[in-house]
Amino acid sequence: MNSPMGDRVGNQEDIVIKAERVSKSFPGVRALKEMDFEVIRGEVHALVGENGAGKSTLMKIIVREYIEDEGNIFIEGNNVKDLGIRGVQKLGLSLIHQDLNLIPMLTVAQNICLGREPVTRFGTIDWKAMGLKAADFLGQITSEINVEDRVEGLSNSQQQLMAIARALVTSPRILILDEPTARLDQKTSDSFFLFLERAKQKGLTVVYISHRLEEIYRICDRVTVLRDGTKIITAPINEIPQTELVKYMLGREIEQQVPKESVPIGEVKLSVRDLYPKEKGKDINFDLKSGEILGIVGSIGAGKSEVARAIFGADPKQSGTIRISGKEVKTNAPHDAIDHGFALIPEERRDQGLVGNESVRKNMTMAALKKKFCVGPSWIDQDKETAAVKTSIKTLGIATPSPEQEVQFLSGGTQQKVVVAKWLMSDSDIYIFDEPTKGIDVGGKYDIYKLIVDLARQGAGIIFISNELTEVLSLCDRILVMFNGQIIKELETQASNREELLFYVMGGRDYAKTVNDL
Amino acid sequence: MQKQSMTSKDIINNYGATFGFIIAIVVFSITSRGFFSGLNLQNILVQSTSLGICAFGLTFVLITGEIDLSYGGVIGLVGAVLAGMLKDGHSIGLVTLVCLAIGLGTGVFNAILIVVLKLPSFLATVAVMFLCMGAERVYNQGITTWIRDQGVLSIVQTNIGPVPALVLYLFALFAICWFLQTQTKAGQYVRALGENINAVKEVGIRADLLKFLVFVVAGLIFAFAGYIETLRIGGAVMYAGKQLLLSVLAACFLGTATFKAGKANFPGTLIGAFFLYTLLSGFTALGMKFYLVPVAQGLILIISVAISSVRRGKIEQVQF
Ligand SMILES: Nc1ncnc2c1ncn2[C@@H]1O[C@H](COP(=O)(O)OP(=O)(O)OP(=O)(O)O)[C@@H](O)[C@H]1O
Ligand SMILES: [Mg+2]
Repeated sequence: MNSPMGDRVGNQEDIVIKAERVSKSFPGVRALKEMDFEVIRGEVHALVGENGAGKSTLMKIIVREYIEDEGNIFIEGNNVKDLGIRGVQKLGLSLIHQDLNLIPMLTVAQNICLGREPVTRFGTIDWKAMGLKAADFLGQITSEINVEDRVEGLSNSQQQLMAIARALVTSPRILILDEPTARLDQKTSDSFFLFLERAKQKGLTVVYISHRLEEIYRICDRVTVLRDGTKIITAPINEIPQTELVKYMLGREIEQQVPKESVPIGEVKLSVRDLYPKEKGKDINFDLKSGEILGIVGSIGAGKSEVARAIFGADPKQSGTIRISGKEVKTNAPHDAIDHGFALIPEERRDQGLVGNESVRKNMTMAALKKKFCVGPSWIDQDKETAAVKTSIKTLGIATPSPEQEVQFLSGGTQQKVVVAKWLMSDSDIYIFDEPTKGIDVGGKYDIYKLIVDLARQGAGIIFISNELTEVLSLCDRILVMFNGQIIKELETQASNREELLFYVMGGRDYAKTVNDL
Repeated sequence: MQKQSMTSKDIINNYGATFGFIIAIVVFSITSRGFFSGLNLQNILVQSTSLGICAFGLTFVLITGEIDLSYGGVIGLVGAVLAGMLKDGHSIGLVTLVCLAIGLGTGVFNAILIVVLKLPSFLATVAVMFLCMGAERVYNQGITTWIRDQGVLSIVQTNIGPVPALVLYLFALFAICWFLQTQTKAGQYVRALGENINAVKEVGIRADLLKFLVFVVAGLIFAFAGYIETLRIGGAVMYAGKQLLLSVLAACFLGTATFKAGKANFPGTLIGAFFLYTLLSGFTALGMKFYLVPVAQGLILIISVAISSVRRGKIEQVQF
């Protein structure tokens, strides 16, 4: 991809989005401070910054979901001050939200066409045309979703693809993508990038928000770094090395993105035998030793989360035994599992991990309340609680105005950090992390890795489920690859590499042989 | 991702209340003589009309994720005004307009409280219910007023062909509601905003305005229910709305246990209303004491809420 820079920069006609000194405050937070932002026609423009830096807020202002306190925004020269959401859509702008905002009970077609339903000549909804229209837009991205299905039955990545299709319905010339790949696996991301490439050739301008730097270097032309609500720099991506980009984002340096450190590995802590989760997966067998970090990888739909949820008792099991240090335990419900020292950091933070209208403090101490902060039967030691919460906020860099802020008002990645903090406080023995770094900024990822290694050093056993092969390869001691509900391969990280891992993730059978045959 | 065929368990799950309905009819027909006579079934239909109509209004509101209990007062107020004004010699045309205006007024008032001022709908509409009861008491001074004009009463107490007019009104309103809900954009958006209001706002639909309108429509439907109920009884009894308070709620929640996975819906409400009346009149036929009727209704409400929330829980996954 060539950068569309050169002589066209500065040409006013080619600036499609221009934000001038935009400021926006929420109660207790200045989300944006005199932010400037410019996007040139035809480019893929990356917007990066820490969790809570103000990226999503700026985008919501541009599409008029929020109204700025001060400043001006121009779309292709038109001031958007008096335009509503529909108005900017007419200018060709479309935003795919970080938190998707879908309607679970409705079908895929109803969601995609929401607000733009085709009607018959009597003014009633034309269901047939609607199905066709939805299928048409969905078909541009994926062929594996049926438009008649209800959205609640779709996987995370399917929901993400659907949200993209929904944004295409208005035939946008400028597409804003807020962390579109956070829910996608490697394979789906790749085909999504191909789609973007094609769209770009047809003249689409893209604003691309992501915490995955690899992607940004792969698909973007220019990058704007946002920190604490102000612009730090805008530059062509190939002029900023990754380390420097991270420095601009964090305002400090970190040496490496994943702290490598080996901790002594002890006795077998958890044995899972012949586990058949009810939802998906069969014949799951593995051991986890104390001090060990065991990775589980696999494409979306491979059954990783289902295994985690079955072990934790959040989903029912068909059969199987779970032993802790040789002793069989029953985990029929999450509270059983918690009593036996399990912690599960779930994947979908908003549904599974947080109470949105409660404070950061209450959310964080919820799991550990009884164990750690109670005096007598149920008296909460508030000083101790507050102190612990403040420490967590600091170590994980949680962007909240105060421990009392309701979590629903935090940025997407910050919410995820709160979920992680909640379980890190629980003093468990076996931690299952399901995509813990999804949507988390580079600095935050580093802090989470460090905390995970600390837990391992203290003798906990850790299961680390992730789609980001790089982090799995650097953090884990051993990796299980799942495909279609089964564990198809076990790899020692030391003796493996990215290509081999990817080979098995895609469902390959014998890497050594295949490589030889080539 | 293939569609699975329904197992017997799914069928019970999806049509549980409908089955219950049929079983109840069979049981009552066997145990109490005369229950299954044509006249009695027609009575059930006729008597459940105002309940059903009112429940349609509530269903609209429930679909948006709110609740509106103001009907408990609106029905009585409309009845009092209807009977009172007729007694004072006003024409039925004018009186009808006034009744609708009461519905419109309370609907708009509810909408302002809930949509504009963002008060919780449960508390706001309970307050409006009491306001209306108060107004009713002041207007009729606690006296039952009968309507003597046969011409007026024949608006509802008549047959069109072989069918009682009331039953026609009920089904006509049902058809309109169901059509709006399932075939129009507005209906789609109302349902969608009940699920996720942000998603609706995001595509540029004026969700708040829609919600406002829903409360207004509900107010009008409640007034209509009060109008019909008063003419059916032939007069305005004190606090007529209070009698219906629990049954309407129960009918809607029985409805959520039918058809659509724990969500309010019109066919469900219609069946719920019939079911409820069948049970109540069945119990009466079996000789239940009148003061136990509220107890029975309370139990039915608990059971239907339990069924619908269990079903919803199933669908929304186990939370922890
Ligand atoms: N509706 C709201 N009410 C109150 N505060 C808000 C609201 N929306 C955002 N904020 C605050 O504004 C700041 C910027 O949030 P924003 O969502 O823009 O961050 P972000 O850069 O998108 O972060 P992330 O990478 O985690 O998605 C945060 O401190 C957040 O808590
Ligand atoms: Mg964001």
